[in-house]
Amino acid sequence: MSTQSTTGPAAGRGMWRVVAEREVSTQVRSKAFLIQSGLLLVGLIGMVVLYTFLGDREQTSTVGVVDEISATAVDEASTIAQARDGNVVLDSTTYDDVDAAEDAVLAGDVDAALLPAASGEGYELVGDDSVSATITQSVSAAVSHLVTTANAAEQDVDLAALVSGAEVGQRLLDADADDAGLRQAASFIFVLLFYVTALTFGLTIAGSVTQEKESRVVEILAASVPIRALLWGKIAGASVLAIGQTVVLALAGVIGLVATGNLDALGVIGPAIGWYVVFFVLGFVALASLWSVAGALASRQQDLGGATAPLQIILFAPYLIAVTAGEGVRTVVSMLPVVSTMLMPARLAEGDVPAWQLAVAILATLMAAVLFVRLGARVYENNLLRTGNRISFREAWARRAPADA
Amino acid sequence: MLQAQSLSRVFGGLTAVDEVSFHVRPGRMTGFVGANGAGKTTTMRMLMGVLAPSSGSVTWNGSPIGAEDRRGFGYMPEERGLYPRMKLAEQLSYFARLHGFSRKDALSRADELLGFFGLDERRDDLLDNLSLGNQQRVQIAAALIHRPTALILDEPFSGLDPLAVDAMVELLQREAADVPVLFSSHQLELVERLCDDLVILSEGHVVAAGSVDELRSEREERYRVVLDGQDAAWLRDLRGVRVDDVDGATALLTLDGLEAAGLTRAVVERGPVLEVARVRRPLSEIFREVTR
Repeated sequence: MSTQSTTGPAAGRGMWRVVAEREVSTQVRSKAFLIQSGLLLVGLIGMVVLYTFLGDREQTSTVGVVDEISATAVDEASTIAQARDGNVVLDSTTYDDVDAAEDAVLAGDVDAALLPAASGEGYELVGDDSVSATITQSVSAAVSHLVTTANAAEQDVDLAALVSGAEVGQRLLDADADDAGLRQAASFIFVLLFYVTALTFGLTIAGSVTQEKESRVVEILAASVPIRALLWGKIAGASVLAIGQTVVLALAGVIGLVATGNLDALGVIGPAIGWYVVFFVLGFVALASLWSVAGALASRQQDLGGATAPLQIILFAPYLIAVTAGEGVRTVVSMLPVVSTMLMPARLAEGDVPAWQLAVAILATLMAAVLFVRLGARVYENNLLRTGNRISFREAWARRAPADA
Repeated sequence: MLQAQSLSRVFGGLTAVDEVSFHVRPGRMTGFVGANGAGKTTTMRMLMGVLAPSSGSVTWNGSPIGAEDRRGFGYMPEERGLYPRMKLAEQLSYFARLHGFSRKDALSRADELLGFFGLDERRDDLLDNLSLGNQQRVQIAAALIHRPTALILDEPFSGLDPLAVDAMVELLQREAADVPVLFSSHQLELVERLCDDLVILSEGHVVAAGSVDELRSEREERYRVVLDGQDAAWLRDLRGVRVDDVDGATALLTLDGLEAAGLTRAVVERGPVLEVARVRRPLSEIFREVTR
């Protein structure tokens, strides 16, 4: 006795496309989808703008002075500070006397004041409760240089000869570390983005399956097309939407970086963005069938939370690992199927990943996708037409025996 | 022809449907009646293949039915089900497309059926916003959308006013005049009016099946005799009949050996007669009798 779940030879084939089309057209017009996409887009562009704003803003610190030499020292300190950190500029404001300068410090008009020391020998840097390290170090160096030069001239010493060979140059072995902030931000965004996208679209799939069960339209659907076609259609539809959204977001990120003139940043994380799309496709498709199954296990929307809980954990665990785990654990875990979707792009954003690790991650996810889809199809077929209470996973797995289903 | 052969279905320890056999002939409306819980819905779901039978089989035109055959059927499940938040025309054309209609054909077919029910102006309304009666019309339209090769309708008329029933019957006659139609119902007068054939189910068993006429004539034949003026009590003494009831000049009797012609002759010989008529027994009576 054949049931509707048996795939027929000719008709019903290709019907998954019709199902997928409905999924897409329904979703694209739903407010929830539009709002979620809009929020993600705004959030992402906000991040890019924020990065640009924070990264490129010149910080001008003002130092109060009372004499010509100090003003020169501040100018020189500004040059030193800029060499140390491209975005810091020091400026001097001249006051009539020490009291006026100190008042300005207290009032917050200036960040610090460079004043002749009360002892009469040398200078002191006066702040209200603290003086920033950049100001202290650059001003100290500048004063020291100026005074040494002056003293040398006074003592008739050839300063150049005196300091010859004392310069300490700089050679960077890990120039990338300069982008550490950017890389970490990008890695965090990848993890978060996959978590949010996979979860929302996953719940959408499960919800749409449950809705069909709840509204009983599933009996009509099952009488019209093979159940497998329904499953494929759902997976295809949701994947198209999720991948489409991801590509749009990735493009928005790239365009945002280009538009804000962050071409260097694009060079750093661009490849990771590309990999993210690749891993996303694999990871999402692998999970999609499981979300459909979760939907088929719930008979009503209220049961959906319980039925999807295991999947939410599957997604949340790597999220936690990504954020908290140490290097070694992350390396191993990042090659696991699905988890790799979150961790690999993150690792790629943070630095180089050996090619073999990428290959292992992709293969593992591919294999998992095939396995999940096959298992998913079986459980989905077994349970789609069952109604009543939420079905336990054990019950769901067992072949539907006609005697007691 | 659609045939159920010894279909049985056991739920847990309970046998809901037990060795049920009957056939649904093309071009005839077959009524499927039975008390609540008699097993009608379970049987129909097994015919549609959305429920696997514990034993027995279904044949279509003489061979075991396949998924392909069933996909040609139109089905109206007991628990109505459509997409509540989908526009009517879009929804119906979706079902048509699932049956392989092109986008264009699907839409024109959807509009055709909506037009029949006068719902064409509401084609872009959500199903949810329709009255229950109109939702039911859309449901039957969904069952007919692909010009089905057979129809399995579970309580298609429940909750409809008489005019809506007439409209739906008219549509069925137009759309499914030459295919087997099986529909279940509690409204026996309706079944009587519409059906050519009847299957009566009781506690999971078929207790009667056949054409409505056959079922009637298989039973004893009843006549009503109305005499002109005289008391009808003397009929109790007539041989070959059993008098069920006498009320003045009117008697209700069952033939028990005597032919109809013999009865007429005997009555006329005795005096003036106003009426000797065969009583068409209401289906409800047959139903009560066989399910007793």
